[in-house]
Amino acid sequence: MKAVILAAGEGIRCRPLTFTRSKVMLPIANKPTIEYVVNALHDSGIVDIIMVVGYAKERIMNYFGNGKDFDVHIKYVEQKTQLGTAHAIKQVQNLVGDEFLVLNGDNLVSAKTIADITKKHTKDTSILTATRADTTGYALVVEKNEKAERIVEGLALKDVHNINTGIYIFGPDIFDAIEDTLQSDVGEFGITDSIQRMIDSGYDVHAYRTDHTWMDVMHSWNLLDVNARILEDIHGSVHGTVDGTIRGEVTVGSDSIIREGSHIIGPAVIGRDCDIGPNVVISPSTSIGNNVTIEPFTYIRNSVILDNVYIGSQSTIKNSIIGENNLIDSHFITESGKDLLIELEEMLYRADELGTVIGDNNIIGCDVSTAAGTLIGTECRIGTGTVITKQMPSHALVV
Amino acid sequence: MCGIVGYLGTSEAMPVLFNLLKRLEYRGYDSAGIAIMNESVETFKTRGSVDDLRSIAPDIKGCTGIGHTRWATHGKPSSENAHPHCDCTGSIAVVHNGIIENYIEIKGKLIDSGHEFRSETDTEVLPHLIEEYYDGDLESSVQNALSVVRGSYALAAVSADDPDKIVVARKDSPLVLGLGDGGFFVASDVSAILKYTKNVIFMDDEEIGTIKKDGISITTLKGVPVEKKIEMIEWDPESAEKSGYEHFMLKEIFEQPDIIRETFSGRISADGVDLGLTLPDVKRITIIACGTSYHAGLFGRYVIERFARIPVDVEIASEFRYTDPILDCGDLVIAITQSGETADTLAAIRESESKGCEKLGIVNVPGSSITRESQCIFTRAGPEVGVAATKSFTSQLAVLLLLAVQLGRQRKVLSTADANEFVYELKQMSGNIQRVLNDAPQIKECAELFAGADQCMFMGRGANYPIALEGALKLKEISYIPAEGFPAGELKHGPLSLIYDGVPVVAIATEDTVYDKVLGNIKEVKARGATVIGIANESDTEIEKYVDYVIRIPDANQWIAPVLSSVVLQLFAYYIAYYRGCEIDKPRNLAKSVTVE
Repeated sequence: MKAVILAAGEGIRCRPLTFTRSKVMLPIANKPTIEYVVNALHDSGIVDIIMVVGYAKERIMNYFGNGKDFDVHIKYVEQKTQLGTAHAIKQVQNLVGDEFLVLNGDNLVSAKTIADITKKHTKDTSILTATRADTTGYALVVEKNEKAERIVEGLALKDVHNINTGIYIFGPDIFDAIEDTLQSDVGEFGITDSIQRMIDSGYDVHAYRTDHTWMDVMHSWNLLDVNARILEDIHGSVHGTVDGTIRGEVTVGSDSIIREGSHIIGPAVIGRDCDIGPNVVISPSTSIGNNVTIEPFTYIRNSVILDNVYIGSQSTIKNSIIGENNLIDSHFITESGKDLLIELEEMLYRADELGTVIGDNNIIGCDVSTAAGTLIGTECRIGTGTVITKQMPSHALVV
Repeated sequence: MCGIVGYLGTSEAMPVLFNLLKRLEYRGYDSAGIAIMNESVETFKTRGSVDDLRSIAPDIKGCTGIGHTRWATHGKPSSENAHPHCDCTGSIAVVHNGIIENYIEIKGKLIDSGHEFRSETDTEVLPHLIEEYYDGDLESSVQNALSVVRGSYALAAVSADDPDKIVVARKDSPLVLGLGDGGFFVASDVSAILKYTKNVIFMDDEEIGTIKKDGISITTLKGVPVEKKIEMIEWDPESAEKSGYEHFMLKEIFEQPDIIRETFSGRISADGVDLGLTLPDVKRITIIACGTSYHAGLFGRYVIERFARIPVDVEIASEFRYTDPILDCGDLVIAITQSGETADTLAAIRESESKGCEKLGIVNVPGSSITRESQCIFTRAGPEVGVAATKSFTSQLAVLLLLAVQLGRQRKVLSTADANEFVYELKQMSGNIQRVLNDAPQIKECAELFAGADQCMFMGRGANYPIALEGALKLKEISYIPAEGFPAGELKHGPLSLIYDGVPVVAIATEDTVYDKVLGNIKEVKARGATVIGIANESDTEIEKYVDYVIRIPDANQWIAPVLSSVVLQLFAYYIAYYRGCEIDKPRNLAKSVTVE
């Protein structure tokens, strides 16, 4: 069976990180989310993979190539305009066989999760569901004896906690249903509408539940929780030079150096070509990408730092995410807070605990502080001594 | 350039040969052919592509064969001139890459003794010579034939009378043998055989190899056995696939952030720059290169002279060789070549060795000829398939920056503090290239406006002058628009007469000591009607007043900005060629690694 990974969307709710990469490329323990999907497929014995790409596709194609390094075969299909999941799946019509598996590239899954649908699937269409106490933002699947009766988008239903994981097995009939699917109010063709059509036309649509790994990064700040959970399972290994001390499970990539007096408490991962210290403290649940420089006396806790970042001395970074190519001068402080309401694209969302989320390519001067829950866009210039208390759009100039 | 392949083993040879030839396609060619051993020697060849050849060749059984892609030098592209070439009886077939310099003389003698020639090529003398010397043993016949030949060759020969054998030989043209589970492989280029095996033997000059079912034996041209090392190649052949991109060139452009980080990996830290080799203390440096590598060399001159205060000459290899160069014993000669096989560059570095110079190679392909002749710094750009060099160029610039800093530190011209500050800037280069790539859609829009141009001019000053040259080369080689690069100050000495209403001029106007001068030059061309595309820093607020279109690059050190500008110009050339519908990865008449002189 071939697998189709949907990876064409931007993931607007994960801005500012998705201004420059698609959501599937958000790093968890230094690996893009979609890599966990690819690995789970590989471990399930599914090695023929088609990725539907679109937004910022180059990063995905550069990372995976033809899949050789991941022991799978990857073909790419471009969805030129993002017109919904049904439209995305339609792009692969000529490439898939009789039956094929569909997954989202931005949901973390394991081989056991995949087995929960592949082992049970018999004919027509199968949907994998998961149970969540809070179903906000997900499609609900109403089922009886593993038979789907209704798929509901955008509503909460009393006593229905079965959410749609976006993992399906389809046969060729799905393409007829897609043809008949109407454009939604927001201009998209949703695959759940196509499936509802199949149910209505009398096809067998089964819904199977998984209790195995299925994690979703709904907002950029959820990356911190998912990162922390995945880091719990890592086994540390040191390929670089460690002149400081490390405790617990810590991975240090090749050509990285942890200088004297630095102290790293795992679980943590540090990528390649990093230069850390002397006297830097990194506390648990932190992921640091490649080519990152951290100057002396800086403290980092429960944070995700992407590639090519420079962080000056005497900085404190807690519960924060820092995008690529940020140059941050000394004395940068992130305030962290709990139960925050965060405004994003004119909507308010809740975050349990957050410092700040910074997009790519910003230059931040000395002695800058950020209030809890602030989001900073890309290409901003933030002057020395400023205190950031509200959301910063991209290309902002703050003096 | 021509490529040769061969296979002897347990599988059917034909599909293997087609596969090997496909993998040599990127070298550029105009015709292709194969010969399969099936009691007699069955030869098929045609003008056109490997796929054309596949469509005309019937399915011939046989587990031994040779093949060729030809890039015309002697004789026009045609089916007759395509290889393999055969002797009069058609029982000996030869494929050859290189040039037989004395073929006219040999051909005359062979015709006198009754041989009939069918093509205009220099190669055809080889099968006839082998026939002339044939004594029942193919190896000794090839050996004797080569004793009268002058020139360069990588060749493979088969004979119907001596089946289950391929004889190969090399002089001044690359040749590599692969040892796989199912048989033995011959190719001009290691990337062709990596799909089948990672165990290879690199043939050296003036060696003859005999491949039989039970193994490979190699001797010198005089018949003295040679012990060869089997090398493991770590390169991944699959990485040379387009994986989703429309063209290799675009893929390679977008790989550059990763490549540059790879180039720097383990070589820079807060402790400074360490290329992992000791550089000689020299009074003078000569850089030798061809094409794009020559432009990298020109950039190298600016940075080495600036950081290390050592005078640098930059020479085009094909000129340098024949000028009886003035080199002093103890000078450092740096050869820059992507492939490590560029014939003129290799010859030039041999020439300098004979004068007692120190040698250093800057090369991309591991295991290539130059790596066996000189200590080398690898650019780590990975396989580059697009004929137009992109990532190999920027990685060469990156290596030259490292080299300049290390030389500067070694001579204490550059202070530790300045070197550290520069390392800080170098560490941002990868991210800054990514930022240029993020702006690809804007560059594409700009390129679309100029896709119909009938000429284009590039100008820059200082370290941006070589970048202007390279920008012009990129554009002309893939879009066929006549394009020239000039030092901006030179315009009034001639090139200004090329300017008329609407001619596009690309001006590299990033912040450096000559920024104001470049603005002056922009005014000169604007006043004469040119449409100016300025490449400027993102923080530059002046430039809009001077130019018609601005493409921005991140604010970067003036020695790093040229690398960013060159990425802009690569995209500019790519998109113009794209809008003109050109064959971007295989521009007409061009070859990837130029293994002939």
